[in-house]
Amino acid sequence: MGTTVLIGMSDVIEPGLELQERQNRFVSQHFRRIFVQIYHVVQNVADAQDLTQEAFIKALQHQEQLKDEAKAAHWLSRIATNTAIDFLRKSGRATFCELDEAPESHSESPEQILLRSEHREYLEDGLRLLSARERAALIMRDVEGLPADEVALRMNCSKATVRSHIANGRNKFRRYMERRKR
Amino acid sequence: MRHPNQAILALHAGGDLGPFRSWLTARHLARCADCREEVAGYTEMRELLPELAELPEISWNRMAAEIKANVRLGLEAGECVRTADMPLPRASMTGWRAAVAIASVVVMVGGCLMLERPAPQPVHVAAETSVESTQDGVQFQAGDDRAFGLMNGAQKAVYHLDAQGSMGSRYIDRETGAVTIATVSYDVQ
Repeated sequence: MGTTVLIGMSDVIEPGLELQERQNRFVSQHFRRIFVQIYHVVQNVADAQDLTQEAFIKALQHQEQLKDEAKAAHWLSRIATNTAIDFLRKSGRATFCELDEAPESHSESPEQILLRSEHREYLEDGLRLLSARERAALIMRDVEGLPADEVALRMNCSKATVRSHIANGRNKFRRYMERRKR
Repeated sequence: MRHPNQAILALHAGGDLGPFRSWLTARHLARCADCREEVAGYTEMRELLPELAELPEISWNRMAAEIKANVRLGLEAGECVRTADMPLPRASMTGWRAAVAIASVVVMVGGCLMLERPAPQPVHVAAETSVESTQDGVQFQAGDDRAFGLMNGAQKAVYHLDAQGSMGSRYIDRETGAVTIATVSYDVQ
């Protein structure tokens, strides 16, 4: 008969290594995914990097809460989502993407880069009209393409609540697009 | 015709409705051009949003190094705060320890009370001290010596006497009509 042993995340990461080394590996393993997830919500590189650090610190400080290796990624994603939502709520400030940070392709002309940047700003202006939770839900569903169940899991709320956030977000964003067209 | 609300149409555009609700909405859309237009608007909006997924050019190695270093710092700082906030270990207060503690408290409280209480001052009481009202006024007498008196003749006066050895009178002077207050004191030492 097998015995289930509950272990902390430091053991989940990789047993046998020094704590600091294990924490570094844990960060290396997940930081890109967490950064991208946060970046999609806040749409700013500097803020996303700060919030990624904050999410890892929170996770590693409470690693004893995690008992199941399979849930580590979800747990970290949830912390990251909450950290980003808290940031949007608290700051309530506009998050601009700097022109030199804008996505660019070396095959694009300066005019194309400018157009792309303007278009991105147009989309970001629309996102700012949404509440923090509406924005996070819409981004995860329509930008990252996650199913509503997964969004609910990350936002630590029911699927019905997530659907409500998504519907409100789409509705507000569409009204914004219609106003801008006129 | 009853139209689905905007939330239903917005969710239908993203395939986020349950099977039954989705079937009902699709059936409605098949015969309602207005609602089809609404759903098309939501679909168009959804097609634009993935552009937000594009990332700027990022030096991932540099960012990884920075994040690791800052996470390390953050954890160490958190550890310092946690250590400072940690409660002191509790000693069990039972049996003889409790008795000693209670006795110590009693001794300390008693000591404090003794120290705070002023030492009693010796009181000098003169033999046969008396206050006497006479025809001319009031006089204070200690032993055989007449100490002092307030003699205002037959005037109607109000007298007062206090325990510290002073005496006073207040009356209206017949000649001037002014209120006169006279106070005298006697040193009991």
